[in-house]
Amino acid sequence: MTNHLIIGQYVPGHSVIHRLDPRAKLLIVFAYVLIVFLANNAVTYALLSLFAFAFAALSRISFSFIARGLKPILWVVLFTLLLHLFMTKEGDVICQIGPLSVYEGGIKQGAFISLRFLLLVWMTTMLTLTTTPIEVTDGVESLLGPLKKMRVPVHELALMMAISLRFIPTLMEETEKIMKAQAARGVDFSGGRFSERMKAIVSLLVPLFISSFKRADELATAMEARGYRGGEGRTKFRQLAWKPVDTVFLAAVALLFALLCLLRS
Amino acid sequence: MAEPILSIEGVSFRYPNQSDYAVQNVSFTAERGEWLAIVGHNGSGKSTIARMLIGLLRPERGAIRLFGRLLNDATVWEVRRRVGLVFQNPDNQFVGATVEDDIAFALENNGIPRLEMVERIREAIRQVHMEPFLHYEPHRLSGGQKQRVAIAGILALRPDMIILDEATSMLDPRGREEVLETVRRLNRQQRITVLSITHDLEEAAKADRLIVMNKGEVMAEGTPEQIFRLGSKLERIGLDLPFAVKMGSRLRERGIPLRIGYFTTEELVEELWTLYSKK
Ligand SMILES: Nc1ncnc2c1ncn2[C@@H]1O[C@H](COP(=O)(O)OP(=O)(O)O)[C@@H](O)[C@H]1O
Ligand SMILES: [Mg+2]
Repeated sequence: MTNHLIIGQYVPGHSVIHRLDPRAKLLIVFAYVLIVFLANNAVTYALLSLFAFAFAALSRISFSFIARGLKPILWVVLFTLLLHLFMTKEGDVICQIGPLSVYEGGIKQGAFISLRFLLLVWMTTMLTLTTTPIEVTDGVESLLGPLKKMRVPVHELALMMAISLRFIPTLMEETEKIMKAQAARGVDFSGGRFSERMKAIVSLLVPLFISSFKRADELATAMEARGYRGGEGRTKFRQLAWKPVDTVFLAAVALLFALLCLLRS
Repeated sequence: MAEPILSIEGVSFRYPNQSDYAVQNVSFTAERGEWLAIVGHNGSGKSTIARMLIGLLRPERGAIRLFGRLLNDATVWEVRRRVGLVFQNPDNQFVGATVEDDIAFALENNGIPRLEMVERIREAIRQVHMEPFLHYEPHRLSGGQKQRVAIAGILALRPDMIILDEATSMLDPRGREEVLETVRRLNRQQRITVLSITHDLEEAAKADRLIVMNKGEVMAEGTPEQIFRLGSKLERIGLDLPFAVKMGSRLRERGIPLRIGYFTTEELVEELWTLYSKK
C-alpha cells in the first residue's frame, strides 16, 4: 500500500504546468480563486471555465482523472443547485412541482453558484495534481519571505511543513503495523458497538502518539547533531527559477481579470 | 605516536534530576584512522558518551579534546561538521523529502554555496554506492539504505570521524553488512576515524581496539585479543561472546590444541582446517 501512496495526490509529469515555478502556480490559483467571484453572467462564467479547461488540458492529466478528484464534492454541488432552484424567486415561473415553483432566476443562480464552486475546486486540485508537496512548501516559503522582516518565522514554518510531509508515509506504515499487532491481540477495528470501536481506536492512538513523541525527540537531536541552528546563515539546496513562461501565465490571469471586469454585468 | 584526534579525560555526566552518574570518570583516546569500538550492556553509558563528543550533552566534570582543541561553545559547530554521528533508528534521522535533500541538509546548515552542494552530494552518494536512489523518498528505501544515506550526509561535510551509535542494530543481516562494509572502506581508503558503539561483540571483534563499558565506567581497554581473553568476565556484565570465541574455548577444554587469538568465524575455521597439517 505504501508503495503507491501518493501524498497530496501529485501526478508525476513533465507538462508546461508541471514545470511552472511553484510560486507562479500558487499566485495563479490564488488570483483565480479571487476573481471567480467577479463573474455574474454567462459570458464571464464561460471565460472562467475556458481558462480552467485550458489549464487542465496543458497539464496533460486526463479529465476523467480530475473528475474523479471532484467526486467527493459532487453532493455539495447538487445540494447548492437544488437549494437555489427552489429558494430563489426571481423572473418567470418555469415549472411547478407540487407546492414548489421553479423560477428562471433560480435556475440561473443555481447553475452559476454550482459552477463557481466546481471551478474553485477544479483549480486548487490542479495545483496539487501538478506540484509536489515539497515544491508547494518551497513556493510558500519564498512568497512569504518578506514577512520575515515582521518577525514571522517563515523558515521554521516551512521546515515544519516539509518535515510533516516527509513523515506522513512513515506514520501510515506505523499505523498499519500497530493495527496488525493489536488485531493479533484480538482488537477488532472493523465492527462492534460504538464503545468497543472507541476502545479499539484508543489502543491504536496511544502507541502511535508515544512513538511519535519519541520520533520527534530523536529527530530534533539528529538535526542538531547535523549542525542545524535555525535559518540564520543557512543556504538552500532547492532553488526556484522564475522563467519567462511563468510571467506569461501570470499575464494570462491578468488578462482574464481585465476581461471579467469588462464583461460582467 | 602522533597527537590523538580525540581524547577524553576524566569525563563524568549525570542526567538532570538523577542521582546516579550515567558516565563516570571515563578517559580514552583515538588515533587518526583508527577503528575504535565501544561495547557494553544496555544503559552502560555508550550513547551518553557519543552525545557528549559532539556537544549535545555537556560533561559535568572532565574535558573532551578533538583535533587538539577543547570542545566548548566556540568549537562545537566545527566539531559537528568534522564529526558525524549515525543514530540507531534509520527513520528518525532522515530529514529531507528525498535522498538528495537529506544529504543536502547538513550542507545547508553549514552555509555551503549551492553549486558546491551539488558537487559534494554527487561525490558523497557515489561513495556509499547509492547513485540510482538520488531522487527516492525515504519510504521507498530499506533500513540499510537509509543508514547509508545518513553516512553520505556526513561524508558530504568531509568529516574526520564517524561515530556509529548502534547504527546497525535495527537492520537485517544484509543491511548490516552493507553499512559496515561502507564504513570499513571509508576507514581504510580515506583514513576516517571510526568510533563504533555496539553491543555486538562479533562486530566489535573487527575493530583495532575495544573499550568495554560497565555501569558508566570503563571496565577494560585493549585489542580484541586482549579483551576476549577476559572470557566469562564479559559474559558476567551482560555481553554475548562471539560464537567463534565460545566454540574455541569449549574445544580447548576438550584438549584440542587451538591457538588463542581469533574472534571471527572465518578465523576459527582457518585455525581448524590447518590444525592437522601443523601437527
Ligand atoms: N534522557 C535521559 N534522562 C535520564 N536518564 C537517561 C537519559 N538517557 C539515558 N539515561 C540513563 O543513562 C544511562 C546511560 O544510558 P545510555 O548512555 O543511553 O546507555 P547505552 O547507550 O549504553 O545503552 C542509563 O542508565 C539510562 O537509563
Ligand atoms: Mg545507546
